[in-house]
Parts: sequence; structure tokens; C-alpha cells
Amino acid sequence: MTAPTPDARRISVGIGQLAITRDPSDLLVAYGLGSCIGISCYDPQTKVSGLAHILLPSSEGKRFDEREPARFADTGIDVLMTRLAESGAVARRLIVKLAGGAAVLGSANAERFKIGERNADAIKERLKRHGLSATAMDIGGAKGRTLELHPATGKTFVRTAASPANEL
Amino acid sequence: MQDELITTLSAVARDGAFRAGRGLSGLMGQEIQIHVPNVRSGTKSDACDAVGGEEANVLGAYLTISGDITGHVMLLFPVGRALECVDLMCGQPVGTSTEPDELAESAIGELGNIVGSAFINALADYANLILHPSPPTVINDMAIALVQSIYAEVLSQGGDVVMMDAIFEDHTGHTAGLLVVAPDPISLDRLRKVAA
Repeated sequence: MTAPTPDARRISVGIGQLAITRDPSDLLVAYGLGSCIGISCYDPQTKVSGLAHILLPSSEGKRFDEREPARFADTGIDVLMTRLAESGAVARRLIVKLAGGAAVLGSANAERFKIGERNADAIKERLKRHGLSATAMDIGGAKGRTLELHPATGKTFVRTAASPANEL
Repeated sequence: MQDELITTLSAVARDGAFRAGRGLSGLMGQEIQIHVPNVRSGTKSDACDAVGGEEANVLGAYLTISGDITGHVMLLFPVGRALECVDLMCGQPVGTSTEPDELAESAIGELGNIVGSAFINALADYANLILHPSPPTVINDMAIALVQSIYAEVLSQGGDVVMMDAIFEDHTGHTAGLLVVAPDPISLDRLRKVAA
């Protein structure tokens, strides 16, 4: 992984959270994505960067909890796009990457809810409504992932418990 | 009502953790202390502190509960500690197991079976329910990825998330394991009736 500068501010984006920055000394990180999916967005012109940690595919029939604005793919992506635009990003320039959506609790359980798979489908669908598609993805499988976005370069990296960071 | 439920689940957690700890002590051949279990709504990343933090690599077992209520049970160990458990269970010097191989996974699965079942039996006795633990699935991943996946499964069904966590400590005060239990939301209604 590209070594972060010693004074880099590592911003942990927890479950259902999102973070926006245009400070090149920041690092946005979503740790341990299991069935969750991390969405990284980067506007190369303004360097506005955003990372969302999506938990579930749909808000339908569920309460919106403002403490977790990115809990659901549908409402979470809408909030992410609004906040990116407010910070100066332009949607058509955004480079979008996805990581996560694994079935970490075993294959038998994965068949029961398929949350990772449904998250991926819902996110792609919602991005499409915003005229966007992911340029790179590391989705599925059975291992959790950590997704890191470096606003200084726009590069994203994915690592698992068993493997070192690879650029996405 | 939520307070009554938390009080009830706390009592179950204490009994379940005691039984599970006793099972753990027997298997490990050493005294295991039970840290007062936490019962709270929406346990997530803070539970992972007990096993080394969100991104810590853990080894453990996952079981589902079926029967009168449904839910999830997970027993997690820091990998190093899991390997110590394997050595103690196999009666070999601590340090013999150096990686989570087939033997280690089999031993941890058995450990998860015994500890998880002890907790589920405590819940069944307390609430007068018929409950069945599933066979354990051995898990080896980042702690938060595992805890988060349970959180997602419970939350995806709508309603409240109540996750119980109990931390086991050995006689030296080191974490010997983290037990996470989460009933499915529909089962919380049944538990609320018991609490009332």
C-alpha cells in the first residue's frame, strides 16, 4: 500500500456512516466489511472524496436512523451524492469503486439472507439512477475486507485478514 | 418495556455466561472468570475491543438458534488465544499449534458447540422455550466483519437489534473469548412476554 504521510488523519467510516473530505492529508477507511459494502467516490478535478459503509440493500419498511445515514443502499447513496455535490464534486466526474458483500458466516447462512449479494445489486441499481457505475469492484466471496481511499491520489486499496493491501 | 427486556436478558446472559464459562473451564483445564456480560442495543464495534479491535483477526464458531425463537450465537477468540485453547484441549504444550489448521478449526468448532449450546440451554431454561443450536460453522476473519454480518441479518428483518456480549477472562485477566448473542426481532416479542 502507498504509505500514508506521517501526519495523515485516518477517518474510520463505521457501519452505516459516510464521510466526505477534500483534505489530501486525510485517509478514509471502512474496516472489516463483511456483508456490508464500502462505496468510494473520488472527483479527480476537485479531489473531493467520499466513502460510505452500506449495511443493507433497502430502506423499505424500515425506520431511518439519522445516526446511520448510510445504513441502506437506496437512501444512503442519495445522501452520499448530495453531500459530495455540496462539497464541490461533480457527479459525472466521479470515480466509483466498491468492495465488500461477502458471506463471512458460512455458505449455509449465506443462502438464507444473501445480504452481501443483495447489497451489491441494490447499490449498482441506485448508482445507475444517479447516472453512475462502478469502475472497479471487489465483491462477494467469503472473506471480510477493509477499504481505504486516499484523497491525495484518489487511489483505493482493499485488504483482507489473510492478504495484504491491493490497489482496486 | 425495553428496560424490562434488557433486565431479563441480563439475567439470562449471566446464567448463560456462567454455564458457558464452566464448559470452557472444563475443556481448557483451567479456571475461567466471567466478566459481567453486557446486554445492550446495537452492540457492534465496541464488542470487538475484547478480541483486539475491529480489524483484529479472530477465530471462532457461529451457530444459529432455531425452535420457539431464532437467533445467532458467535464465540470469538483472538487467533493466538484460540491456538492456546486448541493446545489445552488436545493436552499438548501451549505453543504447539502455530496456525489455524484443520485440527485447530475442528477443536474450535467443538468449543463453539459446547459454549454456544450452554448459553442456548440457559436461555431455554429461563424462558421455558424449546431451542435447538445448529451445528457450528468455524469462522476465521476480521472481528468486525463477523459481528457486522450478524447485525445486518438481524436488522434486515426490521425491528430492534438487541445484541448480548459476554467476555470470558482466564485467571491472569487475559481475554479467553467473546460470546455474542442476538435474537431475531420476531423472537424479541416472545422474550418480552417472558420479561413482562
